[in-house]
Amino acid sequence: MRAFIKKEWLENIRTGRAVSLVIVFILFGIMSPAFAKLTPWMMNMFAGSLEESGLTVTVVTVDALTSWTQFYKNFPLALIIFILLCSSSFTGEYQKGTLVPIITKGLPLYKVMLAKSIMLFLLWSVCYALCFGITLAYTAYFWDNRAMSHLGSAALYCWIFGILVLALMIFFSCIARTGTQVLLFTGGSIVLFYALGMIPRISDYMPTRLMDGLPLLQSISAPSDYTAAIICACVLAVLCIVAAIPCIERQAAA
Amino acid sequence: MNSSMLTVSHLTKRFGAKQVLSDVSFTVPEHTVFGFVGQNGAGKTTTMKIILGLLQGDSGEVTVNGVPVRARHNRTNRFIGYLPDVPEFYSYMTPSEYLALCGRISGMSEPAIKKRTSELLELVGLTENRRIHGYSRGMKQRLGIAQALFHRPKLLICDEPTSALDPLGRKEILDILTAAREESTVIFSSHILSDVERICDEMALLHNGTIAMSGTLDEIKQKRRAAAIELEMLTAEDAQALHAEFPFLQTDAGNPARLILSDPQALPGILSRISASDMPFQRIVRLEPTLEDLFMEVIKK
Repeated sequence: MRAFIKKEWLENIRTGRAVSLVIVFILFGIMSPAFAKLTPWMMNMFAGSLEESGLTVTVVTVDALTSWTQFYKNFPLALIIFILLCSSSFTGEYQKGTLVPIITKGLPLYKVMLAKSIMLFLLWSVCYALCFGITLAYTAYFWDNRAMSHLGSAALYCWIFGILVLALMIFFSCIARTGTQVLLFTGGSIVLFYALGMIPRISDYMPTRLMDGLPLLQSISAPSDYTAAIICACVLAVLCIVAAIPCIERQAAA
Repeated sequence: MNSSMLTVSHLTKRFGAKQVLSDVSFTVPEHTVFGFVGQNGAGKTTTMKIILGLLQGDSGEVTVNGVPVRARHNRTNRFIGYLPDVPEFYSYMTPSEYLALCGRISGMSEPAIKKRTSELLELVGLTENRRIHGYSRGMKQRLGIAQALFHRPKLLICDEPTSALDPLGRKEILDILTAAREESTVIFSSHILSDVERICDEMALLHNGTIAMSGTLDEIKQKRRAAAIELEMLTAEDAQALHAEFPFLQTDAGNPARLILSDPQALPGILSRISASDMPFQRIVRLEPTLEDLFMEVIKK
């Protein structure tokens, strides 16, 4: 299995996937504080034209919270890009038939799945850490993060949500035949979480709640308010990976 | 008699309503090159996938090196090297990186991998170490053989290894397969009968999901009805004269000087007639039965 992890590493590097993802996540990391920093300046720029149309621009105050608000707005998009770039990791191999020589040498398919999962989780962790770290550093430099409470928990929760989405993607990759199907199923389940999250009685259990970190930063909610969602997300992620094992063994027939 | 490397007995497989294999049985002795012949869609690839444990047969048994094959828990694959019909590799790797991956999966030590890699790349003629991306079909086929032979398998299974190649590429692959017999038993499926005739010791012909014929090449050829004799006279007139006298001779519309005798018993009579009237002839030959004739005969049945 170590050999296959090495192969995955080489694939991510040589196909340029790792580099693209790192660049995208660095950009997202810079974007949030930059956007917050530029808001007053932009407002001044447009003030003239806005006044003509009857709007008066008062002085806009930006602070660390503006930067973090942007971060939480950007996070889903960054996650979507990550999934898009990685969705064909499995199905691409089924379609091209590159796994055939590997499994006929006796490497069980579940080990292929585990090796790919480890690599994906690792890549996600690095990308997310970069993105979060850069936002954290710039926000601290321009304003003051001390006004933000529970930054660590907020960071962890988004990471967990990313892991869950990846686990879902891996599970669907073991059932589906094409990358498009994987994207559809993964996207579908996130939409389902959102839809269920609208029902007040179960909204606390929905993993999508983990992406909503702003109340945590503003001390409106406490980290313990998220416990149910964390447990749900973790259980679901583990279930996905465990259920993927028998599913991918069935793919061999193709 | 050698012991058998592969035994397939009473294998059946159905995909939905289509019975792909019905009662397929054959044995492959050690250190032979075994040709697995059949039309496209005859069930060759399905049989191979069952041997590899990629598919589960509906009934019947397959043993490799005496060990029964179980689908998806393919312990027997450590004995087998497999070359798929259209092998695909990770295009961002170089051939030696790819072979190293194969070696590590098979559990070989690093020095052994290094040694075997250079050995095999030499054998298949892929010594320049550029990435697989941009390889021609023939080069991929050769790399495919290298990966299949990498762990010194006892059984090498090749699915149509020569079908898509030019004559030179085909010859190279056939030479490599012949050389591989020293260390392994080779099974290769094909519908190119000249390739089978060239390198196989034994063969089986798969038709309509059963083995229509199997055995050594000589045995198979002898099973065929007695071969015909071709008489080609120098002039068409002589041929006509002979045909008038011996009406059982068949004429050839394309070549009026050519006659075919399907019953060799009548040959002495015809020969004495030719020598009596001093007819000049081009040639008189016994037509060897080709595999192609056999193939057509079986298919038409």
